[in-house]
Amino acid sequence: MNHLTSDELIDAAEGTLDPARQPHLDTCDACRQQVTDLATVLGEALAVAVPEPSPLFWSHLSERVRTAIDAEPQVAGGWRQWLRWPVLAPIGVLALLVLTLGIALPRQQAVPAVVAIAAEPADADSTDRADEGFALVADLVGDLDWDTAMSAGLGVAPGAADRAALDLTANEQQELTRLLMAELTRAKS
Amino acid sequence: MTHGSAVRNAWAPAADTRWTVTMVSPANAVAVAAADYSALDDGALVTASAEGQRGAFDVIVERHRRTVYQVCYRFAGNHEDASDLAQDSFVRAWRGIKTFKGQSALSTWLYRIAVNVCLNRVSAKAPATDPIESADHFADTRIEGAQSTLLREERAAAVRKAIASLPKKQRATLILRMYHELSHQQIADILGSSVGATKANFFHALANLKKILGNEP
Repeated sequence: MNHLTSDELIDAAEGTLDPARQPHLDTCDACRQQVTDLATVLGEALAVAVPEPSPLFWSHLSERVRTAIDAEPQVAGGWRQWLRWPVLAPIGVLALLVLTLGIALPRQQAVPAVVAIAAEPADADSTDRADEGFALVADLVGDLDWDTAMSAGLGVAPGAADRAALDLTANEQQELTRLLMAELTRAKS
Repeated sequence: MTHGSAVRNAWAPAADTRWTVTMVSPANAVAVAAADYSALDDGALVTASAEGQRGAFDVIVERHRRTVYQVCYRFAGNHEDASDLAQDSFVRAWRGIKTFKGQSALSTWLYRIAVNVCLNRVSAKAPATDPIESADHFADTRIEGAQSTLLREERAAAVRKAIASLPKKQRATLILRMYHELSHQQIADILGSSVGATKANFFHALANLKKILGNEP
């Protein structure tokens, strides 16, 4: 007759062996030895108890859980889930970038002189729009403290500006150079 | 209605509705609320917690904290890590309470969370177990008694170390079966395996334990 399988050995050690297999166990020394070994290890492991912590620990644990949950960001369904800094901050930065580009692009098409751009009515409108947009972004991220901003990835990593410059197209790099030179010239004067 | 006040609707014979306003201190209001939640069964507590009622979840924590802590202790081997793991388990339970649909008992669900937290956080190497108290502690007792206690503690530490060295699923199966007396079916549900696989894991866990302890001095 086949020896007991691992499942059956566990059943035997736990006293739930199928009665049909009991005759084999009764007559097989090897299987009986295995069951005895399992029972011995079980008994030894069971003797290891978890030390009872201080009675005060339980209320302390509950308090810790409460505090940790209080520190959790509010997870509300629907649109409320967007009203969290980790979500709002990147959106604010993205909006700021879009607005910045929106301001910069009309300047590329305008007369190079900065004074001339300011004189253009259309550009004045776009500047107003940009100001409104900036005010909106400032409202969104105005209360952001330094740690939150850094954890949201708003900080400038070392080399980020270099990488950003390298990612520009040739035309964009040329325009950036022109703008920087213009600013330097203006600063010198 | 503001916190700390209770409004009771009193029936008047003239069929008009009169309101009796009873002011209670916020502390009492919390106590009343906690008492109310304590009367609820686990299912009702889950529903209330999913609606964001923190008092209901507090009662869930109170009911299951011992079990969750003990599971964590079995994995971590020391009080400090077990406390952290238990706390983390309950925070995860709070996050996921809305997803719990009652397919299993709440305790089974909490076991599953705790086991997953432990398996993810506790490494396979031997845990930093609580120190064994030295024989000095027993200076005022008979030397033989102190020695036997120390030997028993050392053996217990060896068993904990051996359990900690088991492969993750074997360790989880062993802990849940031996120390929490869960059925093989419950363990299979928690670990996402079959009853057959659970029994096989249990068998191999015991066999490995025997081998490791057999090599102990």
